[in-house]
Amino acid sequence: MLRAGCQLFNPSTVAAAKTGSNNFALEFVRWRRKPRWLPVAKSKVFRVPERKKQSEEERTELMRLHNNYKTQLRSVRQYLREEVVRQQETSTADHIVFTPEQEEAEFQRCLEVNAAWNAQIAKEREVRLAKEREEKVAYIQERIEAGKLRAEEQRERADQRIRHEIEQSKTFITRDNLDAAIETALANPVDHNYALDLEGNMLRGRTTQSLTS
Amino acid sequence: MPSYELALVLRQLPRPELISVIKRTAEAIFDKGGIIRKFENLGTRALPFKVSEHGVVHREATHFTITFDTAPTKLSDLKEEFGRDIDIIRRYIFKVEEPEDYECTLHEEMLPPAYRKDVQELIDIAKRKQKPKYNYNSGLDYYPFQK
Repeated sequence: MLRAGCQLFNPSTVAAAKTGSNNFALEFVRWRRKPRWLPVAKSKVFRVPERKKQSEEERTELMRLHNNYKTQLRSVRQYLREEVVRQQETSTADHIVFTPEQEEAEFQRCLEVNAAWNAQIAKEREVRLAKEREEKVAYIQERIEAGKLRAEEQRERADQRIRHEIEQSKTFITRDNLDAAIETALANPVDHNYALDLEGNMLRGRTTQSLTS
Repeated sequence: MPSYELALVLRQLPRPELISVIKRTAEAIFDKGGIIRKFENLGTRALPFKVSEHGVVHREATHFTITFDTAPTKLSDLKEEFGRDIDIIRRYIFKVEEPEDYECTLHEEMLPPAYRKDVQELIDIAKRKQKPKYNYNSGLDYYPFQK
């Protein structure tokens, strides 16, 4: 309304208004009266829209046209179907016709070819499986050897450690030589402090007088 | 059994009493099924700061270490027992680790950067990342690629 008011009158605008389309062929349904998801209004729930009145003549005319159309379509379809059936019965275009003996022979030939293929593939498979088996056996053997070697080394290390500890155990302090060990320790104080000079000499002890000597 | 080192800071005591304290400590280790490997006397020295322990302030102390083996489960018992001993000012238990073996690489590290192996590796990586470049003295008088 507003747009029509502010535009100059021309025939195309009238035509567009009549056909429900504007100049740009765009129809927005965004700002309608209410959103699409709202239900029917309470006051309109029980309203039954009135059916369009159809006169008797109009109804019979429409029925006649409908029947004509349906009959013609049915006859065309039947004709086409019969043609296809006839074509299939008489033509040998897409398949070769065999006698039963020929068919049996063809089937036997197919069986033979299939058996030959199977035999060849079985041979290849046996070779492959044998190779895989050998590889697996070799791998397992190698792992077993490696495991034995590892266990041997571990045992050797443990034995060495035990021998070392047995050797060390001679110097362990027991209840018997405890007094003597304490006496020795108190008599010999140790000092782990040291200093390095530029020549790389290690000067042990915190009270060592190297400069004076 | 793993090896441990017990570092003791003992109250300043006359010699017989000092011996009895060490003996008590060693007996405690023996009672828990331990083995004593070594005693070390680090001498009597002034503490770096005054230490208040068992209600007494200490400024000087005797330092003593005991290297021993025992089950790890007994350590808390030992610590608890040494904590109750009023002649012991401080007690620490360290695990004795295997000495790490290493090689001295100072000579390589003191080389000029171009001769150092790690620097050479870095240069190699940089060279690998460089894109091939067009040579301008290859006979063409125009640049054949899109600039």
